[in-house]
Amino acid sequence: MVDNQYSIEFDDVVQQFRRITERPDTLREVFAKIRRRRINYQDFEAVKHVSFRISKGEVVGLIGRNGSGKSTILKIIAGVYTPTSGSVQVHGTIAPLIELGAGFHHELTGRENILLNGLLLGLTKREVGEREAQIIAFAELGDFIDSPIKQYSSGMYMRLAFSVAIEVDPDILIIDEILGVGDAGFQQKCFDRIQRFRDAGKTIILVSHAMDNMRKFCSRLILVHNGALLEDGAPDYVIDRYEELIGQRARMPVRK
Amino acid sequence: MGALFRDTYRYRELIWALALKELRVRYKRSVLGFLWALLNPALLMLVLTLVFGTIMRFSAPHYSIFLLSVLLPWTFFSQSLAYSVESIVGNGELLKKVRVARLVFPIAAVVSNIINFLLSTIPLALLILVTRFPFHWTWLYLPIPMMGLFLFTLGAAFFFAAVNVYYRDVSHIIQVLLSAWFYFSPVIYSVDFMPAKYQWLFHLNPMLYVLNGFRLGIYYGQLPSLQSTAMCLLCGVLSVVIGFTVFRRYENSFVYYV
Repeated sequence: MVDNQYSIEFDDVVQQFRRITERPDTLREVFAKIRRRRINYQDFEAVKHVSFRISKGEVVGLIGRNGSGKSTILKIIAGVYTPTSGSVQVHGTIAPLIELGAGFHHELTGRENILLNGLLLGLTKREVGEREAQIIAFAELGDFIDSPIKQYSSGMYMRLAFSVAIEVDPDILIIDEILGVGDAGFQQKCFDRIQRFRDAGKTIILVSHAMDNMRKFCSRLILVHNGALLEDGAPDYVIDRYEELIGQRARMPVRK
Repeated sequence: MGALFRDTYRYRELIWALALKELRVRYKRSVLGFLWALLNPALLMLVLTLVFGTIMRFSAPHYSIFLLSVLLPWTFFSQSLAYSVESIVGNGELLKKVRVARLVFPIAAVVSNIINFLLSTIPLALLILVTRFPFHWTWLYLPIPMMGLFLFTLGAAFFFAAVNVYYRDVSHIIQVLLSAWFYFSPVIYSVDFMPAKYQWLFHLNPMLYVLNGFRLGIYYGQLPSLQSTAMCLLCGVLSVVIGFTVFRRYENSFVYYV
Protein backbone atom coordinates (compact mmCIF):
# COMPACT_ATOMS: atom_id res chain seq x y z
CA MET A 1 0.00 0.00 0.00
CA VAL A 2 1.13 3.50 -0.77
CA ASP A 3 2.02 5.29 2.39
CA ASN A 4 0.02 8.41 2.85
CA GLN A 5 -0.50 10.48 5.95
CA TYR A 6 -4.19 10.94 5.14
CA SER A 7 -6.93 8.36 5.37
CA ILE A 8 -9.56 10.40 3.65
CA GLU A 9 -9.26 13.43 1.40
CA PHE A 10 -12.35 15.32 0.27
CA ASP A 11 -11.74 18.06 -2.24
CA ASP A 12 -14.64 20.30 -3.23
CA VAL A 13 -17.10 17.43 -3.23
CA VAL A 14 -20.61 17.98 -4.55
CA GLN A 15 -23.34 15.35 -4.44
CA GLN A 16 -26.47 16.03 -6.42
CA PHE A 17 -29.68 14.08 -6.18
CA ARG A 18 -32.68 14.16 -8.40
CA ARG A 19 -35.91 14.51 -6.52
CA ILE A 20 -37.43 11.09 -6.62
CA THR A 21 -41.09 12.06 -7.09
CA GLU A 22 -40.34 13.65 -10.41
CA ARG A 23 -38.59 10.67 -11.86
CA PRO A 24 -40.69 8.52 -14.18
CA ASP A 25 -40.58 5.05 -12.71
CA THR A 26 -42.43 3.06 -15.31
CA LEU A 27 -42.62 3.20 -19.07
CA ARG A 28 -46.16 4.56 -18.88
CA GLU A 29 -44.93 7.58 -16.99
CA VAL A 30 -42.12 8.07 -19.49
CA PHE A 31 -44.62 8.13 -22.34
CA ALA A 32 -46.83 10.46 -20.38
CA LYS A 33 -43.90 12.79 -19.81
CA ILE A 34 -42.83 12.72 -23.44
CA ARG A 35 -46.34 13.46 -24.65
CA ARG A 36 -46.58 16.43 -22.39
CA ARG A 37 -43.16 17.44 -23.68
CA ARG A 38 -42.19 18.40 -20.22
CA ILE A 39 -39.70 16.38 -18.32
CA ASN A 40 -39.45 18.28 -15.13
CA TYR A 41 -37.14 17.22 -12.42
CA GLN A 42 -35.32 19.10 -9.79
CA ASP A 43 -31.75 18.54 -8.82
CA PHE A 44 -30.71 19.45 -5.36
CA GLU A 45 -27.33 19.37 -3.74
CA ALA A 46 -27.16 17.21 -0.66
CA VAL A 47 -23.46 17.98 -0.25
CA LYS A 48 -22.15 21.36 -1.35
CA HIS A 49 -18.47 21.89 -2.07
CA VAL A 50 -17.19 20.11 0.99
CA SER A 51 -13.45 19.77 1.54
CA PHE A 52 -11.62 18.21 4.46
CA ARG A 53 -8.77 15.88 5.22
CA ILE A 54 -8.67 13.22 7.86
CA SER A 55 -5.29 11.92 8.93
CA LYS A 56 -4.55 8.34 9.83
CA GLY A 57 -5.43 7.59 13.42
CA GLU A 58 -7.83 10.47 13.85
CA VAL A 59 -11.25 10.02 15.43
CA VAL A 60 -13.53 12.49 13.74
CA GLY A 61 -17.19 13.13 14.47
CA LEU A 62 -19.72 14.50 12.04
CA ILE A 63 -22.54 16.48 13.59
CA GLY A 64 -25.47 18.41 12.24
CA ARG A 65 -29.22 18.44 12.20
CA ASN A 66 -31.30 15.75 10.53
CA GLY A 67 -31.03 15.97 6.77
CA SER A 68 -27.91 18.11 6.89
CA GLY A 69 -25.91 15.68 4.75
CA LYS A 70 -23.95 13.71 7.35
CA SER A 71 -25.05 10.30 6.13
CA THR A 72 -24.53 11.28 2.52
CA ILE A 73 -20.94 12.20 3.36
CA LEU A 74 -20.48 8.84 5.07
CA LYS A 75 -21.86 7.05 2.03
CA ILE A 76 -19.50 8.93 -0.24
CA ILE A 77 -16.61 7.88 1.99
CA ALA A 78 -17.85 4.29 1.94
CA GLY A 79 -17.98 4.39 -1.86
CA VAL A 80 -21.73 3.84 -2.06
CA TYR A 81 -22.27 7.13 -3.87
CA THR A 82 -20.11 8.47 -6.64
CA PRO A 83 -19.98 12.26 -6.13
CA THR A 84 -21.25 14.51 -8.90
CA SER A 85 -18.06 16.57 -8.85
CA GLY A 86 -14.93 17.02 -6.78
CA SER A 87 -12.47 14.37 -5.78
CA VAL A 88 -12.50 11.83 -3.00
CA GLN A 89 -9.53 9.75 -2.01
CA VAL A 90 -9.69 7.00 0.54
CA HIS A 91 -6.54 5.19 1.59
CA GLY A 92 -7.12 1.86 3.27
CA THR A 93 -9.91 -0.63 3.75
CA ILE A 94 -13.27 0.45 5.06
CA ALA A 95 -15.97 -1.24 7.09
CA PRO A 96 -19.12 0.79 7.07
CA LEU A 97 -21.34 0.33 10.07
CA ILE A 98 -23.87 2.56 8.41
CA GLU A 99 -26.78 0.31 9.01
CA LEU A 100 -26.10 -2.91 10.75
CA GLY A 101 -26.90 -6.22 9.20
CA ALA A 102 -27.40 -4.82 5.71
CA GLY A 103 -26.44 -8.10 4.07
CA PHE A 104 -28.18 -10.43 6.48
CA HIS A 105 -30.64 -12.96 5.21
CA HIS A 106 -33.36 -14.10 7.55
CA GLU A 107 -33.58 -17.69 6.41
CA LEU A 108 -29.87 -18.32 6.95
CA THR A 109 -28.29 -19.21 10.27
CA GLY A 110 -26.05 -16.87 12.19
CA ARG A 111 -22.99 -18.78 11.05
CA GLU A 112 -24.02 -18.67 7.39
CA ASN A 113 -24.68 -14.96 7.70
CA ILE A 114 -21.26 -14.34 9.22
CA LEU A 115 -19.66 -15.82 6.13
CA LEU A 116 -21.90 -13.96 3.69
CA ASN A 117 -21.57 -10.64 5.47
CA GLY A 118 -17.82 -11.03 5.90
CA LEU A 119 -17.42 -11.67 2.19
CA LEU A 120 -19.63 -8.68 1.39
CA LEU A 121 -17.41 -6.50 3.56
CA GLY A 122 -14.39 -7.64 1.60
CA LEU A 123 -12.88 -10.49 3.59
CA THR A 124 -11.84 -13.78 2.06
CA LYS A 125 -13.43 -17.02 3.13
CA ARG A 126 -10.32 -17.94 5.05
CA GLU A 127 -10.22 -14.65 6.90
CA VAL A 128 -13.84 -15.09 7.92
CA GLY A 129 -13.02 -18.58 9.16
CA GLU A 130 -10.19 -17.26 11.29
CA ARG A 131 -12.41 -14.62 12.85
CA GLU A 132 -15.54 -16.71 13.25
CA ALA A 133 -14.89 -17.83 16.82
CA GLN A 134 -14.16 -14.26 17.95
CA ILE A 135 -17.27 -12.94 16.24
CA ILE A 136 -19.50 -15.52 17.87
CA ALA A 137 -17.94 -14.93 21.27
CA PHE A 138 -18.23 -11.18 20.99
CA ALA A 139 -21.87 -11.37 19.93
CA GLU A 140 -22.70 -13.62 22.93
CA LEU A 141 -24.99 -15.78 20.85
CA GLY A 142 -24.11 -19.22 22.18
CA ASP A 143 -26.17 -22.01 20.64
CA PHE A 144 -28.27 -19.60 18.62
CA ILE A 145 -25.45 -19.25 16.12
CA ASP A 146 -26.79 -22.24 14.18
CA SER A 147 -30.41 -21.06 14.15
CA PRO A 148 -31.90 -18.97 11.36
CA ILE A 149 -31.57 -15.35 12.33
CA LYS A 150 -35.26 -14.65 11.89
CA GLN A 151 -35.57 -16.30 15.29
CA TYR A 152 -33.20 -13.79 16.86
CA SER A 153 -34.32 -10.97 19.09
CA SER A 154 -33.50 -7.54 17.73
CA GLY A 155 -30.72 -7.25 20.32
CA MET A 156 -29.10 -10.50 19.19
CA TYR A 157 -29.39 -9.43 15.58
CA MET A 158 -27.66 -6.11 16.26
CA ARG A 159 -24.95 -7.73 18.36
CA LEU A 160 -24.11 -10.17 15.59
CA ALA A 161 -24.05 -7.42 12.97
CA PHE A 162 -21.82 -5.22 15.10
CA SER A 163 -19.44 -8.09 15.82
CA VAL A 164 -19.02 -8.96 12.16
CA ALA A 165 -18.32 -5.38 11.15
CA ILE A 166 -15.84 -4.73 13.95
CA GLU A 167 -13.98 -8.01 13.45
CA VAL A 168 -13.45 -7.20 9.79
CA ASP A 169 -10.71 -5.06 11.31
CA PRO A 170 -10.61 -2.37 8.63
CA ASP A 171 -8.24 0.59 8.43
CA ILE A 172 -11.18 2.98 8.56
CA LEU A 173 -14.28 2.37 10.63
CA ILE A 174 -17.45 4.29 9.86
CA ILE A 175 -20.06 4.35 12.58
CA ASP A 176 -23.45 5.94 11.99
CA GLU A 177 -25.68 6.33 15.04
CA ILE A 178 -25.46 2.76 16.10
CA LEU A 179 -23.96 3.08 19.50
CA GLY A 180 -27.32 2.22 20.99
CA VAL A 181 -26.75 -1.47 20.31
CA GLY A 182 -27.76 -3.95 22.97
CA ASP A 183 -27.95 -3.50 26.73
CA ALA A 184 -25.63 -1.41 28.88
CA GLY A 185 -23.16 -4.29 29.24
CA PHE A 186 -22.86 -4.84 25.52
CA GLN A 187 -22.63 -1.13 24.85
CA GLN A 188 -19.69 -0.92 27.22
CA LYS A 189 -18.06 -3.75 25.30
CA CYS A 190 -18.59 -1.90 22.04
CA PHE A 191 -17.05 1.25 23.49
CA ASP A 192 -14.06 -0.71 24.72
CA ARG A 193 -13.66 -2.34 21.34
CA ILE A 194 -13.83 0.98 19.52
CA GLN A 195 -11.33 2.42 21.99
CA ARG A 196 -8.92 -0.42 21.29
CA PHE A 197 -9.45 0.22 17.62
CA ARG A 198 -8.49 3.84 18.19
CA ASP A 199 -5.45 2.90 20.25
CA ALA A 200 -4.28 0.72 17.38
CA GLY A 201 -3.95 3.92 15.35
CA LYS A 202 -6.89 3.34 13.04
CA THR A 203 -9.17 6.01 11.67
CA ILE A 204 -12.73 6.29 12.92
CA ILE A 205 -15.55 8.43 11.56
CA LEU A 206 -18.53 8.79 13.86
CA VAL A 207 -21.98 10.22 13.41
CA SER A 208 -24.10 10.72 16.48
CA HIS A 209 -26.52 13.10 18.09
CA ALA A 210 -25.25 12.15 21.54
CA MET A 211 -22.84 15.01 22.19
CA ASP A 212 -21.45 13.37 25.33
CA ASN A 213 -20.22 10.43 23.30
CA MET A 214 -18.81 12.73 20.68
CA ARG A 215 -16.90 14.72 23.27
CA LYS A 216 -15.62 11.52 24.84
CA PHE A 217 -14.41 9.85 21.66
CA CYS A 218 -13.55 12.44 19.08
CA SER A 219 -10.41 14.48 18.71
CA ARG A 220 -12.10 16.66 16.14
CA LEU A 221 -15.60 17.48 15.02
CA ILE A 222 -17.03 18.62 11.71
CA LEU A 223 -20.32 20.51 11.69
CA VAL A 224 -22.43 20.13 8.57
CA HIS A 225 -25.39 22.36 7.85
CA ASN A 226 -27.62 22.19 4.77
CA GLY A 227 -24.98 20.18 2.96
CA ALA A 228 -22.16 22.64 3.57
CA LEU A 229 -19.27 22.39 5.97
CA LEU A 230 -19.80 25.00 8.68
CA GLU A 231 -17.14 24.28 11.27
CA ASP A 232 -14.18 21.98 11.57
CA GLY A 233 -12.21 21.96 14.79
CA ALA A 234 -11.93 21.11 18.47
CA PRO A 235 -14.98 19.29 19.90
CA ASP A 236 -15.90 21.83 22.59
CA TYR A 237 -15.90 24.73 20.17
CA VAL A 238 -17.84 22.92 17.42
CA ILE A 239 -20.43 21.62 19.86
CA ASP A 240 -21.00 25.19 21.10
CA ARG A 241 -21.57 26.30 17.52
CA TYR A 242 -23.93 23.39 16.95
CA GLU A 243 -25.96 24.24 20.02
CA GLU A 244 -26.13 27.82 18.90
CA LEU A 245 -27.49 26.59 15.58
CA ILE A 246 -30.16 24.48 17.23
CA GLY A 247 -31.04 27.31 19.61
CA GLN A 248 -31.40 29.65 16.70
CA ARG A 249 -33.85 27.34 15.09
CA ALA A 250 -35.82 27.09 18.30
CA ARG A 251 -36.03 30.87 18.67
CA MET A 252 -36.81 31.67 15.09
CA PRO A 253 -39.12 29.11 13.53
CA VAL A 254 -38.74 28.89 9.78
CA ARG A 255 -41.56 30.57 7.95
CA LYS A 256 -42.63 29.85 4.42
CA MET B 1 -14.44 -6.65 -20.87
CA GLY B 2 -11.29 -7.43 -18.94
CA ALA B 3 -13.05 -6.10 -15.88
CA LEU B 4 -15.56 -8.92 -16.16
CA PHE B 5 -12.89 -11.61 -15.88
CA ARG B 6 -10.89 -9.75 -13.26
CA ASP B 7 -13.83 -9.03 -10.98
CA THR B 8 -15.40 -12.44 -11.40
CA TYR B 9 -12.14 -13.98 -10.27
CA ARG B 10 -11.65 -11.47 -7.49
CA TYR B 11 -15.14 -11.96 -6.06
CA ARG B 12 -15.40 -15.68 -6.78
CA GLU B 13 -15.93 -16.58 -3.13
CA LEU B 14 -18.67 -13.99 -2.70
CA ILE B 15 -20.38 -15.06 -5.94
CA TRP B 16 -20.29 -18.69 -4.86
CA ALA B 17 -21.66 -17.86 -1.39
CA LEU B 18 -24.46 -15.77 -2.90
CA ALA B 19 -25.35 -18.53 -5.37
CA LEU B 20 -25.51 -21.13 -2.60
CA LYS B 21 -27.55 -18.74 -0.49
CA GLU B 22 -30.06 -18.40 -3.30
CA LEU B 23 -30.43 -22.15 -3.66
CA ARG B 24 -30.64 -22.65 0.07
CA VAL B 25 -33.34 -20.02 0.41
CA ARG B 26 -35.22 -21.42 -2.59
CA TYR B 27 -35.45 -24.90 -1.13
CA LYS B 28 -35.54 -24.10 2.55
CA ARG B 29 -38.64 -25.06 4.48
CA SER B 30 -39.82 -27.41 1.75
CA VAL B 31 -40.04 -31.04 2.77
CA LEU B 32 -38.28 -32.33 -0.33
CA GLY B 33 -35.62 -29.63 -0.37
CA PHE B 34 -33.08 -30.00 -3.14
CA LEU B 35 -35.07 -32.86 -4.65
CA TRP B 36 -37.24 -30.15 -6.19
CA ALA B 37 -34.38 -29.30 -8.50
CA LEU B 38 -34.84 -32.80 -9.94
CA LEU B 39 -38.60 -33.04 -9.61
CA ASN B 40 -39.42 -29.76 -11.29
CA PRO B 41 -38.07 -30.61 -14.75
CA ALA B 42 -39.28 -34.19 -14.43
CA LEU B 43 -42.85 -33.07 -13.74
CA LEU B 44 -42.77 -30.39 -16.42
CA MET B 45 -41.54 -32.98 -18.88
CA LEU B 46 -44.37 -35.32 -17.87
CA VAL B 47 -46.98 -32.66 -18.56
CA LEU B 48 -45.47 -31.60 -21.88
CA THR B 49 -44.94 -35.19 -23.03
CA LEU B 50 -48.54 -35.93 -22.22
CA VAL B 51 -49.85 -32.87 -24.01
CA PHE B 52 -47.63 -32.82 -27.06
CA GLY B 53 -46.55 -36.42 -27.38
CA THR B 54 -49.85 -38.16 -26.64
CA ILE B 55 -52.65 -35.66 -27.22
CA MET B 56 -51.19 -33.53 -29.99
CA ARG B 57 -49.30 -36.50 -31.43
CA PHE B 58 -46.00 -34.84 -32.20
CA SER B 59 -44.46 -38.01 -33.40
CA ALA B 60 -40.90 -38.66 -32.49
CA PRO B 61 -39.66 -41.87 -30.97
CA HIS B 62 -38.66 -41.30 -27.35
CA TYR B 63 -40.46 -37.97 -27.42
CA SER B 64 -39.69 -37.33 -23.76
CA ILE B 65 -35.95 -37.42 -24.42
CA PHE B 66 -36.43 -35.39 -27.59
CA LEU B 67 -38.20 -32.82 -25.42
CA LEU B 68 -36.03 -32.92 -22.33
CA SER B 69 -32.76 -32.52 -24.25
CA VAL B 70 -33.81 -28.93 -25.06
CA LEU B 71 -36.30 -28.29 -22.27
CA LEU B 72 -33.56 -28.44 -19.61
CA PRO B 73 -31.33 -25.79 -21.22
CA TRP B 74 -34.40 -23.69 -21.94
CA THR B 75 -35.60 -23.90 -18.34
CA PHE B 76 -32.13 -22.88 -17.20
CA PHE B 77 -32.26 -19.86 -19.50
CA SER B 78 -35.72 -18.71 -18.47
CA GLN B 79 -35.18 -19.25 -14.73
CA SER B 80 -31.84 -17.46 -14.82
CA LEU B 81 -33.50 -14.46 -16.40
CA ALA B 82 -36.41 -14.50 -13.99
CA TYR B 83 -33.96 -14.44 -11.08
CA SER B 84 -31.38 -12.07 -12.43
CA VAL B 85 -33.81 -9.41 -13.63
CA GLU B 86 -34.55 -8.75 -9.94
CA SER B 87 -30.98 -9.26 -8.76
CA ILE B 88 -30.01 -5.59 -8.52
CA VAL B 89 -33.36 -4.20 -7.41
CA GLY B 90 -33.78 -7.00 -4.89
CA ASN B 91 -30.43 -6.17 -3.30
CA GLY B 92 -31.12 -2.45 -3.35
CA GLU B 93 -31.06 -2.02 0.41
CA LEU B 94 -27.65 -3.62 0.51
CA LEU B 95 -26.28 -1.48 -2.33
CA LYS B 96 -27.34 1.63 -0.44
CA LYS B 97 -25.26 0.66 2.56
CA VAL B 98 -22.13 -1.11 1.47
CA ARG B 99 -19.96 -0.74 -1.56
CA VAL B 100 -20.17 -4.09 -3.29
CA ALA B 101 -19.17 -4.91 -6.83
CA ARG B 102 -22.58 -4.88 -8.47
CA LEU B 103 -21.76 -7.49 -11.04
CA VAL B 104 -21.71 -10.22 -8.40
CA PHE B 105 -25.52 -10.26 -8.18
CA PRO B 106 -26.49 -11.18 -11.76
CA ILE B 107 -23.53 -13.56 -11.94
CA ALA B 108 -24.60 -15.28 -8.73
CA ALA B 109 -28.16 -15.61 -10.06
CA VAL B 110 -26.83 -17.35 -13.17
CA VAL B 111 -24.40 -19.53 -11.20
CA SER B 112 -27.12 -20.76 -8.85
CA ASN B 113 -29.17 -21.74 -11.89
CA ILE B 114 -26.19 -23.51 -13.44
CA ILE B 115 -26.05 -25.69 -10.33
CA ASN B 116 -29.78 -26.28 -10.68
CA PHE B 117 -29.33 -27.10 -14.36
CA LEU B 118 -26.62 -29.65 -13.67
CA LEU B 119 -28.83 -31.28 -11.02
CA SER B 120 -31.72 -31.37 -13.47
CA THR B 121 -29.73 -33.53 -15.88
CA ILE B 122 -30.07 -36.38 -13.39
CA PRO B 123 -33.71 -37.11 -14.32
CA LEU B 124 -32.68 -37.05 -17.98
CA ALA B 125 -29.91 -39.55 -17.30
CA LEU B 126 -32.36 -41.78 -15.40
CA LEU B 127 -34.86 -41.55 -18.24
CA ILE B 128 -32.18 -42.57 -20.73
CA LEU B 129 -31.30 -45.59 -18.61
CA VAL B 130 -34.89 -46.63 -17.98
CA THR B 131 -36.07 -46.33 -21.58
CA ARG B 132 -32.89 -48.00 -22.87
CA PHE B 133 -32.23 -45.08 -25.14
CA PRO B 134 -29.05 -45.74 -27.14
CA PHE B 135 -25.85 -44.09 -25.91
CA HIS B 136 -24.20 -41.60 -28.22
CA TRP B 137 -20.56 -40.59 -28.21
CA THR B 138 -21.71 -37.07 -29.21
CA TRP B 139 -22.62 -36.49 -25.55
CA LEU B 140 -18.96 -35.65 -25.07
CA TYR B 141 -19.50 -32.62 -27.26
CA LEU B 142 -22.10 -31.08 -24.92
CA PRO B 143 -19.74 -28.71 -23.03
CA ILE B 144 -19.53 -26.59 -26.20
CA PRO B 145 -23.27 -25.77 -26.50
CA MET B 146 -23.30 -25.38 -22.72
CA MET B 147 -20.63 -22.72 -23.03
CA GLY B 148 -22.73 -20.90 -25.61
CA LEU B 149 -25.83 -21.24 -23.45
CA PHE B 150 -24.15 -19.98 -20.27
CA LEU B 151 -22.61 -16.99 -22.03
CA PHE B 152 -25.81 -16.07 -23.80
CA THR B 153 -27.73 -16.27 -20.53
CA LEU B 154 -25.15 -14.25 -18.60
CA GLY B 155 -25.23 -11.45 -21.16
CA ALA B 156 -29.03 -11.31 -21.08
CA ALA B 157 -28.91 -11.40 -17.27
CA PHE B 158 -26.62 -8.34 -17.15
CA PHE B 159 -28.77 -6.48 -19.62
CA PHE B 160 -32.14 -7.08 -18.00
CA ALA B 161 -30.86 -6.63 -14.44
CA ALA B 162 -29.56 -3.17 -15.40
CA VAL B 163 -32.60 -2.05 -17.38
CA ASN B 164 -34.97 -3.21 -14.64
CA VAL B 165 -33.36 -0.75 -12.24
CA TYR B 166 -34.66 2.12 -14.36
CA TYR B 167 -37.92 0.64 -15.59
CA ARG B 168 -39.57 -1.90 -13.33
CA ASP B 169 -41.89 -2.84 -16.20
CA VAL B 170 -39.08 -5.01 -17.48
CA SER B 171 -39.62 -7.67 -14.83
CA HIS B 172 -43.24 -8.02 -16.04
CA ILE B 173 -42.42 -7.81 -19.72
CA ILE B 174 -39.84 -10.51 -19.36
CA GLN B 175 -42.44 -13.05 -18.21
CA VAL B 176 -44.49 -12.53 -21.37
CA LEU B 177 -41.38 -12.36 -23.50
CA LEU B 178 -40.12 -15.68 -22.13
CA SER B 179 -43.34 -17.57 -22.74
CA ALA B 180 -43.61 -16.22 -26.29
CA TRP B 181 -39.95 -17.01 -26.87
CA PHE B 182 -40.53 -20.54 -25.63
CA TYR B 183 -43.15 -21.27 -28.30
CA PHE B 184 -41.14 -19.64 -31.07
CA SER B 185 -38.07 -21.70 -30.22
CA PRO B 186 -37.72 -25.31 -31.27
CA VAL B 187 -38.27 -26.83 -27.83
CA ILE B 188 -41.47 -28.85 -28.08
CA TYR B 189 -41.09 -29.28 -31.83
CA SER B 190 -38.09 -29.67 -34.13
CA VAL B 191 -36.63 -27.09 -36.49
CA ASP B 192 -38.08 -28.65 -39.68
CA PHE B 193 -41.56 -28.44 -38.16
CA MET B 194 -41.55 -24.73 -38.86
CA PRO B 195 -43.30 -23.68 -42.08
CA ALA B 196 -40.74 -23.29 -44.87
CA LYS B 197 -42.06 -19.87 -45.74
CA TYR B 198 -41.13 -18.49 -42.36
CA GLN B 199 -37.91 -20.41 -41.82
CA TRP B 200 -35.84 -17.27 -42.27
CA LEU B 201 -37.81 -15.58 -39.51
CA PHE B 202 -37.14 -18.40 -37.10
CA HIS B 203 -33.48 -18.22 -37.97
CA LEU B 204 -33.29 -14.73 -36.48
CA ASN B 205 -33.85 -16.29 -33.07
CA PRO B 206 -30.50 -16.67 -31.30
CA MET B 207 -31.90 -19.42 -29.08
CA LEU B 208 -32.21 -21.57 -32.18
CA TYR B 209 -28.42 -21.76 -32.44
CA VAL B 210 -27.86 -21.90 -28.72
CA LEU B 211 -30.21 -24.87 -28.29
CA ASN B 212 -29.36 -26.66 -31.54
CA GLY B 213 -26.31 -28.52 -30.26
CA PHE B 214 -28.20 -29.98 -27.31
CA ARG B 215 -30.87 -31.82 -29.29
CA LEU B 216 -28.50 -32.92 -32.02
CA GLY B 217 -25.95 -34.14 -29.51
CA ILE B 218 -28.23 -35.77 -26.96
CA TYR B 219 -31.12 -37.07 -29.07
CA TYR B 220 -29.92 -37.54 -32.63
CA GLY B 221 -26.35 -38.47 -31.81
CA GLN B 222 -25.11 -36.00 -34.37
CA LEU B 223 -22.75 -33.08 -34.28
CA PRO B 224 -24.04 -29.68 -35.37
CA SER B 225 -22.40 -28.14 -38.42
CA LEU B 226 -19.38 -25.98 -37.90
CA GLN B 227 -21.49 -23.01 -38.94
CA SER B 228 -24.13 -23.71 -36.33
CA THR B 229 -21.53 -24.18 -33.61
CA ALA B 230 -19.89 -20.92 -34.57
CA MET B 231 -23.26 -19.14 -34.46
CA CYS B 232 -23.97 -20.60 -31.02
CA LEU B 233 -20.70 -19.33 -29.57
CA LEU B 234 -20.99 -16.03 -31.42
CA CYS B 235 -24.45 -15.42 -29.94
CA GLY B 236 -23.01 -16.15 -26.50
CA VAL B 237 -20.05 -13.81 -26.85
CA LEU B 238 -22.09 -11.01 -28.44
CA SER B 239 -24.67 -11.26 -25.68
CA VAL B 240 -22.04 -10.94 -22.97
CA VAL B 241 -20.33 -8.03 -24.71
CA ILE B 242 -23.58 -6.10 -25.16
CA GLY B 243 -25.07 -7.02 -21.78
CA PHE B 244 -21.95 -6.29 -19.78
CA THR B 245 -21.25 -3.03 -21.59
CA VAL B 246 -24.74 -1.75 -20.79
CA PHE B 247 -24.43 -2.95 -17.18
CA ARG B 248 -21.03 -1.34 -16.76
CA ARG B 249 -22.20 1.92 -18.27
CA TYR B 250 -24.97 2.37 -15.69
CA GLU B 251 -23.84 0.47 -12.61
CA ASN B 252 -22.62 3.53 -10.73
CA SER B 253 -26.06 5.10 -10.78
CA PHE B 254 -27.99 1.99 -9.72
CA VAL B 255 -27.84 3.11 -6.12
CA TYR B 256 -29.90 6.25 -6.84
CA TYR B 257 -32.75 4.33 -8.42
CA VAL B 258 -33.16 1.13 -6.44
